[in-house]
Amino acid sequence: MGAIEELVTELARLPGIGRKTAQRLTYHLLQQPAGQTSRLARALDAVAERVGPCESCGNLTEEQPCAICRDPRRDAALMCVVEDASAVAVVDRATEFRGRYHVLGGRLSPLDGIGPEALRIEALVRRVREDGVREVILATNPSMEGEVTATYIQQLLSAMAVRVTRLARGLPMGGDLEYVDGVTLAHALVARQELR
Amino acid sequence: MPLVITPAIVLASLRYSETSKIVRLATREHGVQSAIAKGALRPKSRFGAALQLLSDGVAHVVVKEHRELQLLTAFDVTRVRIGLAERLDRYAAASSLAEVMLRFAPPDPHPDSFDLLRHALDRLEAAPERDVEATALRLLWALVSSLGFSPSLEACVRDGTPLDPAGQLAFSARDGGALCGTCARGHATTILPVDARRDLTALLDPDAELPPLDERHAAAHRRLLSRFIRFHLGEGAALPALEFWEVQPWRAA
Ligand SMILES: [Zn+2]
Ligand SMILES: [Zn+2]
Repeated sequence: MGAIEELVTELARLPGIGRKTAQRLTYHLLQQPAGQTSRLARALDAVAERVGPCESCGNLTEEQPCAICRDPRRDAALMCVVEDASAVAVVDRATEFRGRYHVLGGRLSPLDGIGPEALRIEALVRRVREDGVREVILATNPSMEGEVTATYIQQLLSAMAVRVTRLARGLPMGGDLEYVDGVTLAHALVARQELR
Repeated sequence: MPLVITPAIVLASLRYSETSKIVRLATREHGVQSAIAKGALRPKSRFGAALQLLSDGVAHVVVKEHRELQLLTAFDVTRVRIGLAERLDRYAAASSLAEVMLRFAPPDPHPDSFDLLRHALDRLEAAPERDVEATALRLLWALVSSLGFSPSLEACVRDGTPLDPAGQLAFSARDGGALCGTCARGHATTILPVDARRDLTALLDPDAELPPLDERHAAAHRRLLSRFIRFHLGEGAALPALEFWEVQPWRAA
C-alpha cells in the first residue's frame, strides 16, 4: 500500500469519516507546509505515548493520578460512576459536580460477552471501601445495558455503608412535550418528583 | 423497494457511525433482519429512545431481497422492558432468549417463535424473584422447542423404546433426549434422579405448575439446557449470553 492510500485508510477508520472525507483530508494535508504535517504527526505520537488511564479512576490522563484525583478542592467522598472516559469531560463541563469519578470502561453486555470481570468494578468497590466514599452516583447511560450495569453495581454496594443514587431519567430541557418520545415521557412519569 | 411494516423486537443494537445504529430485529413476518437506523444517535432523532434492547414495536423496514442490511425508516415502540434491567437474573435470561433467536431462528418467517419470544420477555419482566429461575428455564426450553428441538423424555430418542415413567432417566444432550438402558450403555449421559426428572417434565409443560428449584437444582437444570442448546444449535459457536446466564457471575460478588 502506498503512503497516500495508507493515510486514507487510517483516517477512514475514525468515527464519522467516510472514505471520501478521508481522501479530502489527505490531499489537504499534502498541500500544507511540511512543518504542519510533522506537528500533527508528533501530536498523534504524543497522545499515544503519554496518555493512558488514571490508575485510580480510569479517566484518561498524562500524569498519575489524573488532575481530578489530585485536586484537593474536590470532595473525595462523592463518586460519579460513568461508562467511558469521554463522559467524565461531559459531566464535569456541564454540571456542578465537584466530586471524583470512576470510569468502568464499558457496560455489562452478555450478548457481547462483556461480564463484570471485563469492567473496572473491583477497583470501584475497593475505592468505595478505602477512600471513605459517602455517595456513589451511577451515571451509566440511559440504555438497557446502562441500567443493568447500574443494577449490578447497586447490588454490590448494597451491603456497604454508602448511599447509592442514579441519574434521573427525565425530559430534555427546552423541549416541547409533544415532541418527546413516548419512552422518555413514560420514564419521566415514573420518576416524577414531589413538589415541596 | 417494498416497505414492510411488521411487529418487531430489538435483539441487538450497535453503534455504526457517529450518528447511526445497526439493529438486529426479530420480525414477525420476515424473520430476523439487520437494519440500519440512520441518525438514531442524533439528539433529536425520530427514533428517540425507541431502539432499546428487548423492546417491542412496529418496524418500518425497506427490504431488498438478497441484501444483508436493510433500511429502518421508523420504529413505533409499544413496550420498553426496563423491568428486565432491574434484576441480573431476568436480564441474563432475556439476553439468552435473544441470543437463541439471533443465532438459530431460521431465515424464513417464523411467527411462532416470534410470538413465543414476545410472550417470554413479558413473563420474565413480570416474574417475581422466587420464580425467575424456573420461568427462565421453561421459556428457554419453549423457544428451543419452537425452533424444532424438543427434547424427548417419554421414549428413547435412539430406538423409540418406551421409557419407564418412574425412576431415574439417562439424558443425552447430544442425542436430544432420554435414552433407554441399552442405548445409554457406553454413552455420555446425564443421569436425572427422580426429582430432577419430574422437574424437567414440569418445565417442559407450559400448563404445569412451576417447580420450586433450589440453587443447586436450578444450576443443574441450567447446565443441562445449556449443553442441549450447544449440541443442537451451537455447532461450536460462542454463546456468551447463554454462558452468562448459566454461570451467573453476578452471584460470585
Ligand atoms: Zn483519576
Ligand atoms: Zn434406546
